[in-house]
Amino acid sequence: MSSLIGFLSLVFAIGINFYLFLSRYIFKFKKQKFNLFIRLSSLLTLLSFFSLMYAYVVSDFSNYNVFQNSHSNKPLIYKISGTWGNHEGSMLLWLSILSIFSFFFSFTKNIDGSFQRLTLIIQSLLHILFGLFIVFTSNPFLVNSILVNEGLGLNPILQDPGLAVHPPILYAGYVGYSIVFSIAIAGLFQNTDDEWLYVAKKWSLISWTFLTGGITLGSYWAYYELGWGGWWFWDPVENISLMPWIAGLALVHSLMMVRGEQAIKKWIVFLSILCFSLSVFGTFLVRSGILTSVHSFAADASRGIFILLIFFIVTGFGFLVFLLKEPKKSNALNLLFINKVSALVINNILMIIATLTILLGTIYPIIIEVLYNKRISVGGPYFNSTVIPIMIPGFLLMSVAPILSWQTNKINNSKKYVLAFIVLSVLVLIQSYFLNFNTWGFVGLLLGFWIILASIIAIFSSYKIKINIKFFKIINPHVAHIGVGIAIIGITCSSVFQNELDFNLNEGDKFIVNGKTVLFEKIETTNEINFQSLRGKFLFDIEKNQSKEIKAGKNYYPVSKMITSEAGILHQWNKDIYFILGDQKNNEWFVKVLINPFVSFIWLGVIIMMYSGLIAVSRR
Amino acid sequence: MNRIFILTPLIVLLVICIFSLVYLLSGKDPNKPPSALLNKDVPIFESSSLYNSKDIIKTKDLKNKKTLINFFASWCSPCKIEHPLFFEIRKKYPELYLLGFNHKDPPSDAKKYLEDDGNPYDFVGVDSDGLIALEFGVFGLPETYLINEDGKIIYKFMGPITMDILKNEIEPLL
Repeated sequence: MSSLIGFLSLVFAIGINFYLFLSRYIFKFKKQKFNLFIRLSSLLTLLSFFSLMYAYVVSDFSNYNVFQNSHSNKPLIYKISGTWGNHEGSMLLWLSILSIFSFFFSFTKNIDGSFQRLTLIIQSLLHILFGLFIVFTSNPFLVNSILVNEGLGLNPILQDPGLAVHPPILYAGYVGYSIVFSIAIAGLFQNTDDEWLYVAKKWSLISWTFLTGGITLGSYWAYYELGWGGWWFWDPVENISLMPWIAGLALVHSLMMVRGEQAIKKWIVFLSILCFSLSVFGTFLVRSGILTSVHSFAADASRGIFILLIFFIVTGFGFLVFLLKEPKKSNALNLLFINKVSALVINNILMIIATLTILLGTIYPIIIEVLYNKRISVGGPYFNSTVIPIMIPGFLLMSVAPILSWQTNKINNSKKYVLAFIVLSVLVLIQSYFLNFNTWGFVGLLLGFWIILASIIAIFSSYKIKINIKFFKIINPHVAHIGVGIAIIGITCSSVFQNELDFNLNEGDKFIVNGKTVLFEKIETTNEINFQSLRGKFLFDIEKNQSKEIKAGKNYYPVSKMITSEAGILHQWNKDIYFILGDQKNNEWFVKVLINPFVSFIWLGVIIMMYSGLIAVSRR
Repeated sequence: MNRIFILTPLIVLLVICIFSLVYLLSGKDPNKPPSALLNKDVPIFESSSLYNSKDIIKTKDLKNKKTLINFFASWCSPCKIEHPLFFEIRKKYPELYLLGFNHKDPPSDAKKYLEDDGNPYDFVGVDSDGLIALEFGVFGLPETYLINEDGKIIYKFMGPITMDILKNEIEPLL
């Protein structure tokens, strides 16, 4: 029953969007009525989504999708998250988030009515395209042709709280760019005042913040669940999310420029189209199964071709409008040797080069395989040696960019900065000399600390310190950059100064990690509700009374016959001690211990960036 | 100049779409990379038996019979997973010659592994330095190759074979 309701409301919502789309040309109606229909279609789409969720929660195996991807003995949270733990459901989630964005956009005030309507019509068009995709190739409401009492189960690797919330947040980021795309296209068509730039800024900040959260959750999950000790693997799916993220960052920064000069409109439109195109392209690459990665989904050529078509239509349409309806001539840029505008322009160029570099590395295997029928794999070495050097000058520039002037070449208090930079360089050099020197380590630490220091100097020397909301809004760009600096320190330390120790141990053995004695107490096996767990129990620092307990091991999921590894992590503020339990051989267990310094800084830095993203939304 | 700059995204879009479309239509499966060796002769190799170093197997010994070659090692846990399937193959196709290559393994470990889990192979060749695997283009263990009567490689699979793969992909070729 719920499946029927879900399917019907999905179809009705698509129908309403058709009607709205035609309304521009055939039926004319008032703004009030128009917005009412938009909201109605959003609510219907959500109803459809929640009916699917209901089917999952009550384990309604007469729904083929639920039968394929759920099991009645799963905990409730994974029944709920199972809704989007599969291709069909996740596409419905995609569409629902699109609707939510349209819903909220229809409430936007201070915006020209016909402009708002045009934006929403473009959203309707997107709704129709993706809605038809779901109905024709990925219908989650198909009826199960055989009568069954039990389902096939959810991929165990997805049975994790972090991963339960990762897709919706990531999608909110991806799909959020649809609004920015629609606004930019509407802006091209109407070409009136520049009010739309302010609206676009808000929405692009919201999308970017969600995208940041989604990517971080994914990489945090990879860190503790995959058991490889790292948090970023240059996996194709990670690259796909990184591209709109960097392009979105460029967009947000370009939109900041609007405050100073009305110049870069064309560039902003280009970035707006690019961000959403990259999001749809990412959806295509993941959903067509064209790339192999940890996100292995069933490949289906017809789905792939359908999304490819959508990608082609959306992106082609966007760039074609961009080609035909160029924004009207705006004032020339006030580019000086070093002022705010030139710094932002350089940073934008660097970000786009980085995005294109990642794009090339991601699609290169496809091109080579089509041309030469050879499988190659582009991985970490390529990306590390291209993307990181491209970003470094950008990081240097961002440390001073917020204090540069809009109009002149002068930097206030420039002596202070030069002095601070020299002192810092010497300090970091001394530090690196006494700890093992490493070029990347040196560069990373210097950059990270310099960004933080420069931002702090800027805050103290440029503004009167007050503790109120307005003050936090003013210093927000600096705060965001401090977040970046902290994250750079975390990234540098955890990747360059990682330390690995291998042991072969019997139960009861003691061993030394980082100068502390660790006891491998015992192996425990327990039966949980939907898996069997095997854990090695370690006691860290047993010489102290309050030794810390760490459990590392594996889970076995009988329904899907899969084994997942579960790393045991002891979090400390300055390092993570990461235990991996390997295989047993001759009664000895192979245990790998990784010491990852300052990993927590990465997450802290990202949280600060997200905080600034949210603050910036509320700032005009 | 400006025109060209604005046209670039459209050109890039077209190129990406064409390549992706060709890729999708060609029915390639990312999990099954093309092998340069497919439909080619088995590489020249020579290997001694794990149990008797005087017992040698060479490329020409594979003529006139179908052979299933499996690269395995005691330290490879996915190999353990697929191991029981070879007994099944053994039982169902007694004619098929099962050749195992023990890859970069101390002989004692390999013998212990085959003692514990059983030995389904007709011949276990030693590939202690991994040179034979190199000739075959082995990517990671386990890997399985099917050789026809003419000594040509007609099938290759990376990773542990499963019941589905055995039924749908290997058996039709036998």
